[in-house]
Parts: sequence; structure tokens; C-alpha cells
Amino acid sequence: MIDINPQRTLVRYNVRIEQEMTPEEVAEGLFPADEAIREVARAVFNGDEDEVVESLKNAIDKGKDPLSLINNALMVGMEVVSTLYDDNMLYLPDVIISAQAMIEGIEFCKEQSGEEHEYKGKIISYVVEGDIHDIGKKIVTVLLRAKGYEVIDLGKDVPVEEVISAVKREKPIMVTGTALMTTTMSAFSDVNSRLLDSDINVPVVCGGGAVNQDFVSQYDLGLYCEEAADVPKIADAILKGFDIESLRKEFHKH
Amino acid sequence: MDIKRYTKMAYDDFEDMVFGHCPNPLSTGFDLEIGAGYTSAEVNYAPRPSSGKSKETLVAEYEKITTDVLQRMVQVGFPSVVLETEHVLPMTMNPEWGAEISHAQKAIMEEYYDEYGIKCALRTTLADIRGGRETLDLRGDHYDILMESFDQVASSGSDMLSIESLGGKGAFDNAILHNDIPGILFSIGILGTLDVEYLWSEISSIAKKHNVIAAGDTDCSQANTAMFIAGGLLDRKLAHTMAIVARAISAPRSLAAYEAGAVGPGKDCGYENTIIKAIAGVPISQEGKASTCAHSDVMGNLVMQCCDLWSNESVEYHGEFGGTSVQCWGETLSYDCSMLNTAIEAGYTKVFRDVLMASDRYRDPQSFILAFDNAYRIGEAIVKDGDDIYLRSKNAAIKACELVERGSRGQLELSRFEKASLTKAIKALHSMTDEKDAFIDEQMEIFKASMPEFRPENYGY
Repeated sequence: MIDINPQRTLVRYNVRIEQEMTPEEVAEGLFPADEAIREVARAVFNGDEDEVVESLKNAIDKGKDPLSLINNALMVGMEVVSTLYDDNMLYLPDVIISAQAMIEGIEFCKEQSGEEHEYKGKIISYVVEGDIHDIGKKIVTVLLRAKGYEVIDLGKDVPVEEVISAVKREKPIMVTGTALMTTTMSAFSDVNSRLLDSDINVPVVCGGGAVNQDFVSQYDLGLYCEEAADVPKIADAILKGFDIESLRKEFHKH
Repeated sequence: MDIKRYTKMAYDDFEDMVFGHCPNPLSTGFDLEIGAGYTSAEVNYAPRPSSGKSKETLVAEYEKITTDVLQRMVQVGFPSVVLETEHVLPMTMNPEWGAEISHAQKAIMEEYYDEYGIKCALRTTLADIRGGRETLDLRGDHYDILMESFDQVASSGSDMLSIESLGGKGAFDNAILHNDIPGILFSIGILGTLDVEYLWSEISSIAKKHNVIAAGDTDCSQANTAMFIAGGLLDRKLAHTMAIVARAISAPRSLAAYEAGAVGPGKDCGYENTIIKAIAGVPISQEGKASTCAHSDVMGNLVMQCCDLWSNESVEYHGEFGGTSVQCWGETLSYDCSMLNTAIEAGYTKVFRDVLMASDRYRDPQSFILAFDNAYRIGEAIVKDGDDIYLRSKNAAIKACELVERGSRGQLELSRFEKASLTKAIKALHSMTDEKDAFIDEQMEIFKASMPEFRPENYGY
């Protein structure tokens, strides 16, 4: 068996660009100064649900308002996680674990307060009819919740009719749909037509294995998304007033 | 259920593993031999979405695809080819649809064989239709339809039967997104294996009844999901050192098909196939540099090292500058095979194999563990406790981690994140019990509590 020194045939770019500081070290520099808040943010970063609840109790004991802790502590911790993920210092499971700890914290704060938390916006997510592969939808849903959106998760193998009813009922700022197979993704077309028939101009963000930009661009409401991490950015852009055309300019990469 | 466990390797030495040859070659279709001294292209395709309107439009689509491929093979002078028809859902859900398409394709293949003598065979991969919106029902009504569909395609012209089964998928998706090593091992090594055994006992019987080949399964739904999520070097979705754990465990899982009566060739997207070839000596199909039409990977040349069939994974049927997509990819694959077969004829098989392997050996931890020498070592770890589906999975995962750790002291470069992830994986694996029943009981309870849709009865519990 031959063996070679790969130096002249291969570049491990991930090793080459690696940063000197660890994510934990960078995060310490980003957490807020207020010790009670800092403790909550660090617990979210660590992704430890028990630690999150414990730190929230401490903060409330110190006089912090439970509902304000959602935006001012939990979301701040999650923002640090998102920043480090965007800067290539954390992996997706780190984000998911932190997001779930944060969501647990939000529930705790809501219970303590007895009042409703105001989300940034409402979004519907689903997997198209005939398709039971939902790992992409799970990732998108968690990332959106981590960014402060309320997600109505319709699940997998969702009939078009059910998507339309949910949009009419919930009035979301956008819909996200995933499809793995070429044979199921035609359901996006039906959703597009039915929404337009009802004069609903909500963006339908589409992604998944066989879906591509050319296909999604055929539909008036269609917006292609290659990376799950872009979905919250699209939602933020919608809140800033971007329409379908400007969203396509910003997020269509090919 | 007659299950024959593998407790020893098919080869005495990894140096004996090569492309185009295997200890247990087979004959199928029209004069085609697989693993008997040459390689063949396996062309894989998907119909255009617009062709799914009816049975008639789908049959017509597959007739065009079949004619296009065979015509191009003849035009450029290639001696053999395999066509793989991967069912879209309606073809399996309506067994007569799949049967009619198999019949139509085989009739065209027979015409080309009669006229030109081209060696060819048809593999049919059924869609795993066992689903359910709220809960996955692996053993219910859809299972019966699936088996009826296997029976009908086998009686209508298909030479080889395959499936990419979904057992354990739901649990795996949760586990991989949480870096949950015991969960990954449970979902692939236990749930996946149990489901593969259950399925393939019956598929093998159907194949025997119709005198066709029970070809094999692939852990596409789990290990390839991990590979896909892990992505390229710059992606941060999943540490590639975590993806190797899923890949290593996928080998004993897919091996279960052969333990239940399958004979090969293993399916193209089973990157675990080199490990399986080392253990079972069956021929394998592989995909790599010529499957970039479907997805990217980090082992485009390496995975060709021991292939018997060489595939493009899947391409939608449509027009390209050089002809239709199936003609273009069929020609590319066949030129690759021509190169491999020339190396065999010239006596350079091992040199060529080594070049393919060495070109990607250090590209990634995933390619490193699948280099044929390391794949063989993982195989040895599996057969050491071959009778215990838990221990052999755990052994495979530990061996993969050890190989990468050792490799990182040499030419295999790892990022700090990959190293940290590897350390966590090793720690988690070594803290796990050695008792199968205790492990299964513990994981069953965890998944029942955390996943309301989880159904132990899908796996006989």
C-alpha cells in the first residue's frame, strides 16, 4: 500500500483559518456586564437547561422582571451563540442545544410573569405532502425560535389545504417549507397558487434536498433558501420591509 | 428468521481487497457478472416531476431513459452497464406501476442485448413508503404494500432488489442534532439493524422465489444524513469527527441485510460498503466523483478503491449539451470503469487502487476511516463481537475514533473543533455499558420520554 505526504495535493482550509481563541474565551468577552444577566447568558451559551432556570431564579430574586429577562438575558445569551456560529466558531448542535435551553428559559419566565411574551413575528413551518423527512424543518424551526420568532410547526407530510388554512388563521410573516424529493416539491406550486387566489402575498421560503433556486423562482411567492441559518435572516429582512423581489436579490445566491 | 452472523473476515489481508473482484461474485441480468474481474457503470436517474402525472407518463419517461442509456453505451462501445431505477413514491405505493416500468425497461434491455450483446441488468430500489404523519409505522399496512411491490417488480423484470430503509431514522435525527453518541448508536446500531433484519428476511425470500438477486440496503437515511449535514471543510453544522461515528456504526447495520440473505451488490450510496466488502466478501456499488450531480462529498476518488459497480447516485432526466443527462453521466461513469478495467488488464490493479485511495486519504476524517486498510480494521472490530449487535456497533465506533486519533498524529490534519469533538465522542463511547440489554432498556426509556412519536413495537419491542 502506498502512502503519501498530502502537502502538495491537499489544503485543509478549515485548519488553516482556525482562530487562536476558543469559543468560550470569545463568549466571555461578549456576555453583558450585569452579573445576574451575565449568569443567564452564560447558562444559555452552555446549553444547560437546569443552569438556565437556576440563573433565572437568581436574577428574579435580585429583582429582575421575569418577562424582561427574555429579551434582556436569554436572547442576549442566544445572540452570543448566533454570533459565534456566524463567525464559524460553533457548530449547529451547539446552537440547537443552546436554543432549547433558551426556549425552556422563556417558558419559565412566562410562568413566573403570568403575562404573554411578545414575539418578533409569527412563522409557519412544514414539510410538504408525501414527505416524512423532517430534519431540515427541525433545524429551521429551532433557529427561528432561537431568534425570537413564534413558530407554528405543522409537522411533516402536510396537505396543501392544511397549510392554506393555517396561513389564513395565523397570519404569519412568512411560511417555510422543506421537501427532499423532486416528486413532492411540486406541492410548493399548489401552495403558491392557492395563496395568490386568496390574495395572500406571504413569502414562501423553500429548501431541501432536491429543491433548487431555479425551481422556486418559478413561483411568485417562492424564495429559495440554501442554508438553514439564512432563514432567520430572511425573517429579519421581512420585518424591515423587504418584499419578495428584494428578498430574492438579497438571498438568492446563484 | 434465519440470520447468519458474520464473525470472521472474508479477506485475510486488506491488501487483497481490490476493485472489480470480490470473493463472492454473482451473475445476473443478461450475461452480467459483478465482482468477477471487471467493473461496470451503474446509471441512476430520476424522472422529471412533470412525468409523475400518471402511470402512462411515468412508463414513457422510463422507456426514454432506458433507451437513451443503452443507445449511448453502444455508440461509444462500452461492454456492460447496470441501470438502477429508484422508485418515486407512487411507483411503490401502486405495485402495478413499478411492475409495469420494470417490464418496460427490461424489454428494451433485452432488445439491446439481442442486437448488440451488451451485458446489462436492472436494479430496482423501492421507496421506503412505511411512513405515517404522526408516528412512523414500520410494520403496518404500508409494509404489506412494500412487500407486494417487491414481489411484483421481481416478477416483472427486475434483476436486483434494493431499498434504502428508514428504521431508526426519527431517533437518529434527534440524536445527531444533539451530539448524542449513545442515541446515534442506538438509532443506527440497534433500531436500524433490527429493521434491516426484519425487512431483508422477507425481501430475500421474495428474491429467491423469483430467482432474482437480493442486492442490499444502505444507511442513506442516517449515516449519509450525517455526512450531508457535516458538509464541506468550512461548514459548521456537524463536526466531521462526529460523522465518522455514524458512518462506522452504519456498517454493522447495513451488514444485517446480508445476514438475512442478501448477496449484493451493496447500493451505491452506502459509503460503508468497503467495510462490508471486507467482512462479507460481497460485490459493492459505490459513488463519488461522478455523483457530484447529486451531492458533494470528501472522498470522490477514494471511494472508488474497491468498487465493483460505479454509480452517479442520481440525476434528473433532462437535456444537456452532450445529450440527455443519463447519456452524459452514463458515458462519464463508463469511461471511469474503462480506466479501472484497463488497470486490471494491465496488472496494475493495486497500484491504481492505491492512487485512488491516497488521493483522498487525508482529505477528511471520513475518508480516512474509509481508506481500505482502515475500513478493514473497522471490519475486524465488528466481527470480533459479531453475534452482539450492540457490542459490534460500539466496537466499530471506538475503532473509527481510535484510527482518526492515531492518524491525527501523522498526516491527518484536524481542526481544534474536530479534535475536541473526537475527544468527547471517545469519552462518551468508553463510558457506555458493555451489556446490550441494559443499553437497549435505557435508550428505549430515554426515547419514549423525549419523542412522543417513538414506537418500540416497530422494532419488535
